[in-house]
Amino acid sequence: MNGHVTSDGPDVGVPDWMPGVHRPGNVFDEMIARLAPEVDALVAQYEDSRSALLPMAHLYQDHEGYVSPNAIAAIAYRLGLTPAVVESTVSFYTLFYRKPVGKYMLQVCRNLSCMLNGAEEIMAYFRERLGVDHLETTGDGLFSYEEVECLAACDRAPCMQVNLEFFFDLTKANVDDMLAAMRGGTFPVKPLVQTKPPGRSWHVVQEAGKKSAGGVGVVDPNNAGGLGDRSGIIMLDRLLADPSFAQRTHERAAHEPNLQPNEEDAHG
Amino acid sequence: MADLVTKILTQGIGEKNLRDIAVYRATGGYTQLTRAYTELSSKDVLEITSGSNLRGRGGAGFPTGRKWSFLPDNGRPRYLVCNCDEAEPGTFKDHMLLEETPHQIIEGILLGAYGIGSHHAFIYIRGEFKRGYEIFRDALAQAREAGLVGKNVLGTGYDLELTIHRGAGAYICGEETGLLNSLEGRRGEPRLKPPFPAIKGLYGEPTVVNNVETLAYLPYIMKNGPEWFAKVGPERSPGYKIVSISGHVKKPGNYEVPMGTTIRQLIWECAGGLRDGRTFMGVQPGGGSSACLFEEHLDTPYDFDSVSKAGSMLGSGAMVVFDDTTDFVKAAYTLIRFFAHESCGQCTPCREGGHWIEKTLARLLDGRGVASDVEVLISAAHQLTGLNLCALGDSIEPFLASVVKRFESQFRAYLPKTGVPEKVAV
Repeated sequence: MNGHVTSDGPDVGVPDWMPGVHRPGNVFDEMIARLAPEVDALVAQYEDSRSALLPMAHLYQDHEGYVSPNAIAAIAYRLGLTPAVVESTVSFYTLFYRKPVGKYMLQVCRNLSCMLNGAEEIMAYFRERLGVDHLETTGDGLFSYEEVECLAACDRAPCMQVNLEFFFDLTKANVDDMLAAMRGGTFPVKPLVQTKPPGRSWHVVQEAGKKSAGGVGVVDPNNAGGLGDRSGIIMLDRLLADPSFAQRTHERAAHEPNLQPNEEDAHG
Repeated sequence: MADLVTKILTQGIGEKNLRDIAVYRATGGYTQLTRAYTELSSKDVLEITSGSNLRGRGGAGFPTGRKWSFLPDNGRPRYLVCNCDEAEPGTFKDHMLLEETPHQIIEGILLGAYGIGSHHAFIYIRGEFKRGYEIFRDALAQAREAGLVGKNVLGTGYDLELTIHRGAGAYICGEETGLLNSLEGRRGEPRLKPPFPAIKGLYGEPTVVNNVETLAYLPYIMKNGPEWFAKVGPERSPGYKIVSISGHVKKPGNYEVPMGTTIRQLIWECAGGLRDGRTFMGVQPGGGSSACLFEEHLDTPYDFDSVSKAGSMLGSGAMVVFDDTTDFVKAAYTLIRFFAHESCGQCTPCREGGHWIEKTLARLLDGRGVASDVEVLISAAHQLTGLNLCALGDSIEPFLASVVKRFESQFRAYLPKTGVPEKVAV
């Protein structure tokens, strides 16, 4: 796995965000290993490896259905960043799903041209038919529903995307047909990969809490604490840069029973 | 009228499979790039571009040749980035070009990159354009196979790489410095300017960011000469422009017209006019960020300077037309919600202002308005502009300000019929 597999030894004491250690039966690590050549190609496209952050998140999401904490850690590890920086970056972008989503991600445009052409009615109909609200997933895990901003297809309003494929000129009748086809497995768009059953929402933080909205501000990931103190980041950077770190962690863990991970942690 | 529409970039769309390099070549495609690589210097390409007076088609309308000429001659690597993060409400021209004529964009990007002497160009494609990305990726592979991109292009010894970078759903990445941050693997937060990207852009090196449509015109300017473009339309904002028309019109779509065509001609002659029995109430002439124009502005020529003079802006060239069925309170709410949602959160006026106006409008629409709401909306409009790092914060108020003034009665009609509270109950 591209030089990052540091040990085949016992799976003990390695922090969750260190994905480079092979854990027997860890499906995610096998995915990382399988995708390593693709990741190398992505990184090679850029003068600075950090530019591969978004492409890597896209790649892992394509294979895992969402950008999992393990994926965050894998990106951090590969690019020499801290998991917090990767997390902060990925969470900026609404197309990265932070928790598992339905097999069909329904994204209906709620912006001006669609609204002028009946989008409100279409959105109300989706909510009614699916029994969910904006940013929610149906109980059977089949549909996630979101009302999104302008999709740049205003000449065919109202429009939507299903798993990022466009559908235009929506009416209640063709919404019915689409949903029936998705339920019946005859819909022409490939379902999303779903490695875990989704919960109610795929957002870590709800929309209103994401920015200030009269509440909390946004923390600069490069300036944790806001005082210009980068010590924590520098420390983590050093650890990540040190190839012997994982080995030393193993050795230390062997003497410290408290660091034995429980079953759940080991599988993320 | 059909003769208003002049098909340059839109030539052949819907008739031919321009995604195929052979079909594109048969229309004369890639001859200008070949000519530039083999016969012209970078400086020649820059001079032709400057001579055409081409102004950026992404929104700001900055002269393209001038933008290029700002790059310092310091021997550092320099980059050209094509902005295909089209997300301005009402705009759908780049989406069409990306899916229908990817080779035209590739040729434009490579010409631009060659013109500034860059060896590495990028295209930033909006995350939602998955199909467009796939089409562009396949077209790029064809161009690579033809030796037009990569190491030693056409055996000239010049290296020119083109990398595709996909966004992931953030309007703010259409702002050029937000885009560069996103391309560097960071949050798409705009940077403080100066330094402008021409001095310190991608990876801290001199960088030019140009819109898809801007670059796509380059092959035609190269072919027909700069005067051909410069003499069309008004002198200070010449050439052709693709206008995306949507909303309450009979034939919404992309129409490529000479600059200076009037708004009336665009709505009635190109887009078929309003639906039967409806009357015209207003038009947003330049995307979600622009102020609404009304009946008295219909004969305004559609070019950068005239539309600004009328009190709005040409922006990305997206017209949204409103008839008498429009609820302008809802329309304003829809756009304010958009800007509040897309604010990156760095600047207080934008982050807070957008959300508070959204809340006020939501309350009004919900029948819970208070007496001061309409005044607050009128005054709030002027408390956001000019106080932010980028143009997003300045884009929140123009539409609201223009319609609240014009259709104040529509806003007042949403106040509760009886017992309007003076203040919000705490």
